[in-house]
Amino acid sequence: MSYEKWLDLGLKKGLEDLQIFATRNKSLKLTIYQGRIDQHVESDVESVTLRGIYNGKITSVKFENETDVAIDAMIDRLILNAEALTANEPAIIFEGSESYPEVKVESFDFSTIDMADKIQLARDLEAGILGQKNVKQVQSTTYQETANETTLINSKGLKLYRSNSFAYAYAIGVFEKDDDIKTAYDINLVKDYSDFNVSEMVQTTLEKGWAKLGGKSVPSAKQPVVFSNERFGELLATFSTIFSGESAYRNLSPLKDKVNESIAISGLNIIDDPLHDKAYFQIPFDDEGVATHVMPVVEKGVFKGFLHDLKTASIFKEAPNGHSFSGRISPTNLYVEPSNTSFESLIQPIKNGIYITELAGLHAGVKTVSGDFSLQAGGFKIENGQVTTPVKMIVLSGNFFTLLNQIEGIGSDLKFGLNNVGSPSVYVSELSIGGDDSSAS
Amino acid sequence: MLDKKVLERLLQEGVSQGADFCEIFFENTHSNMLRVTGQEVTDASSSNVYGAGVRLIQGNDEVYGYTNQVDEESIEKIVKNLQASFEGPAYNAKPLGTSNPYDPQVAIPMANKTTKEKAEKLLPLTQIMAEYDERIVQSIAMLSDMKQDILVVNSEGVYQKDERHYARVILMAVAKDETSMQQAYEGPGRSMGFEIFEALDFNELALETAKSAITLLSAEDIESQVMPVVLHNGFGGVIFHEACGHPLEATAVAKGLSPFVDKVGEKIGSDVVTAYDNGTVDNAWGRLSYDDEGRPTQNNLLIEKGVLKGYLVDFRRGRMMNAKPTGSGRRQSYKFSPTSRMNSTYIAPGTDKVEDIIKDTKYGLFAKKMGGGSVQPATGEFNFAVQEGYMIEDGKLTRPVRGATLIGHGKDILFKIDRVADNLEFGQGMCGSISGSIPVDVGQPTIRVQSMTVGGAGGQK
Repeated sequence: MSYEKWLDLGLKKGLEDLQIFATRNKSLKLTIYQGRIDQHVESDVESVTLRGIYNGKITSVKFENETDVAIDAMIDRLILNAEALTANEPAIIFEGSESYPEVKVESFDFSTIDMADKIQLARDLEAGILGQKNVKQVQSTTYQETANETTLINSKGLKLYRSNSFAYAYAIGVFEKDDDIKTAYDINLVKDYSDFNVSEMVQTTLEKGWAKLGGKSVPSAKQPVVFSNERFGELLATFSTIFSGESAYRNLSPLKDKVNESIAISGLNIIDDPLHDKAYFQIPFDDEGVATHVMPVVEKGVFKGFLHDLKTASIFKEAPNGHSFSGRISPTNLYVEPSNTSFESLIQPIKNGIYITELAGLHAGVKTVSGDFSLQAGGFKIENGQVTTPVKMIVLSGNFFTLLNQIEGIGSDLKFGLNNVGSPSVYVSELSIGGDDSSAS
Repeated sequence: MLDKKVLERLLQEGVSQGADFCEIFFENTHSNMLRVTGQEVTDASSSNVYGAGVRLIQGNDEVYGYTNQVDEESIEKIVKNLQASFEGPAYNAKPLGTSNPYDPQVAIPMANKTTKEKAEKLLPLTQIMAEYDERIVQSIAMLSDMKQDILVVNSEGVYQKDERHYARVILMAVAKDETSMQQAYEGPGRSMGFEIFEALDFNELALETAKSAITLLSAEDIESQVMPVVLHNGFGGVIFHEACGHPLEATAVAKGLSPFVDKVGEKIGSDVVTAYDNGTVDNAWGRLSYDDEGRPTQNNLLIEKGVLKGYLVDFRRGRMMNAKPTGSGRRQSYKFSPTSRMNSTYIAPGTDKVEDIIKDTKYGLFAKKMGGGSVQPATGEFNFAVQEGYMIEDGKLTRPVRGATLIGHGKDILFKIDRVADNLEFGQGMCGSISGSIPVDVGQPTIRVQSMTVGGAGGQK
């Protein structure tokens, strides 16, 4: 496609400046069920976001129909939309950063691996779990690979390109014992096909499933809580909008007037690192063409500043820091800095507590504006410094801002998730546990 | 769009090497999002989803491919590529029929209105919210509209077009005092055009949203406990959607992953529970003339007086379960293969009055407005959040409470419903599952659940 041609068309139609952001996404998804292929999905889709300034107002249109007629109509639509905007806000198409970080991880071409091998990988994963103790069935076994190529070109002369590929696999085992049904899975995300380790995934899935069986609710109480690394990462990801410059500008973040103030215990560091070597994605520039860089968000408990796009950086009179993604402000690879404390040492001081390994309903039971959360949860009891029996069907409630000041310990087991957010296990002095009061043992 | 002769040739190609069914789904969807923040129009963006998805099925096995290059050559390439997964005899594709008439359910298409005209409808709403109380620190009104044109063709001769119009207005108010910041939200949607602004009383809704945010400022966190819960009508139906709706989808049932497998004809709830999933409710958010497999939608009885009557079934899983499809094959876009999904799901009205249900409850929670929720069909465990709640003490609503999340198990919850009022209403949401995110209605009259686990951050240390 001739992106330059579209730039010319936009300028001719009266746009003052414009940018084309095109992403081509090729993917393959295989799911296996009882040895047979349940889903086999292949795709090749290019979608284009055109961002333009008209009469000093900026807005964007996104489209997949790349015919000349359709593009013409979408540019007209952009102009119509821009005419309706009344807010006087900075409208910027970026001329480019001085330099861009170098991405060291090479994109692996997963399409070079035979289809039969991928199918076999998923079949082996399923077969490894099926027939094991307490396994009722395997709900589905998934292999997914994705390759993205992104091109950014604008009327200020900026031209950038980035590519990314990854694959992941997991099997959802359904475990049953004495009428209790639990599911468990272990997602293995790789940047190179040879990094898949099926036997390890089988083992982890089985161990997770077995450990959960026989879980009971607990009586309602306030208790010390340890979040597993994955779950604290998930909670942090859900609340990451509080760090957005847009939220601050719109009065939707309680951190609005808290820059350089303490918001957490002094031992907490939260960092945004676009190229972190443990993260799954390396991101040299954002969707507006701004170079990314390592940025402390919380340093020794002090809030260091908001994530910005070009607009909010200009409003707050700060340098842009490269956080415009998919039309909103979000982190690159946000993570809680780990300590040297092993998981065993982290939970050692806890006499009675709960180790949280499952959270559900994060799209519903969370209020980012107030920091309140109230979520279905599951995990294990911690008794006398040891993880003991499984716990299910409880509600974990608290306030994220309060929690940041109630952190008693941070583990060493940093893990990034598919959501680009990483965390080690985190020990919080006290949260509300809602459970079944008749379940007292 | 490709012409019929070309489509017939592609479908024939699809069933020429072992696959016994071939389907091509074309989509052209235009959507617009407009946001008013305070008294300024701050966002106006548009998007177009455009492409085609090809599905081949052999017996119960399926392959799917999609692209945004909608030309004969690109689609043929996908068909040939997918074919390689199967081996076997050739089948004959039936000649394509003609499209049955469909009802787009629209009086004034959004495309006939300018972005400015739309903005003029939203500006008074943020003003109403902002002026309600000086503690309202932010008010946002959004209009999201969408027009989806689809064509489904398959090797059984189906040639079906459909045109769907969606309009949704989302209101959000944020209130702040010395101690906290609270948000309230409303998001009614319809299968409609610009006439949604006449059909619904948005001024009243804006007032209610602001009032709800202010109420939450003085609400206390609820204390975790097990207690009776009265779930108000409308979006309260999210309980049935999560606890029973998803586990009744063939997606779960065909694999035996649901507490309701093999339970048709058996009692799965109390006598007061009758429930439907209806794809034909006029102007409803979850309505469709035809599903994404080209079948007319219908009104499916799920539960009658506590007895399970049926499941929601798509074409392929119907084969697996030996069951007839129920017009429930849905997908977010051409990027998804269809599966069985809900449309407008609701508990049918009973004869009780809301006032009586509250009066007859000595102690409990009145969940006036619900947030979203989720369920894991394999285990039946579900959760959902309460946006605005009140304690019921001695049959009266007393203090407001916030931060409540309710959890339960699908197989017990329907037995615990003991009261059903006469005030059926729908609420609108986006429902996520393996075939993507789609508009659905949840619905119910006010109901009482005898006991539920309620979690919250309140209470003594």
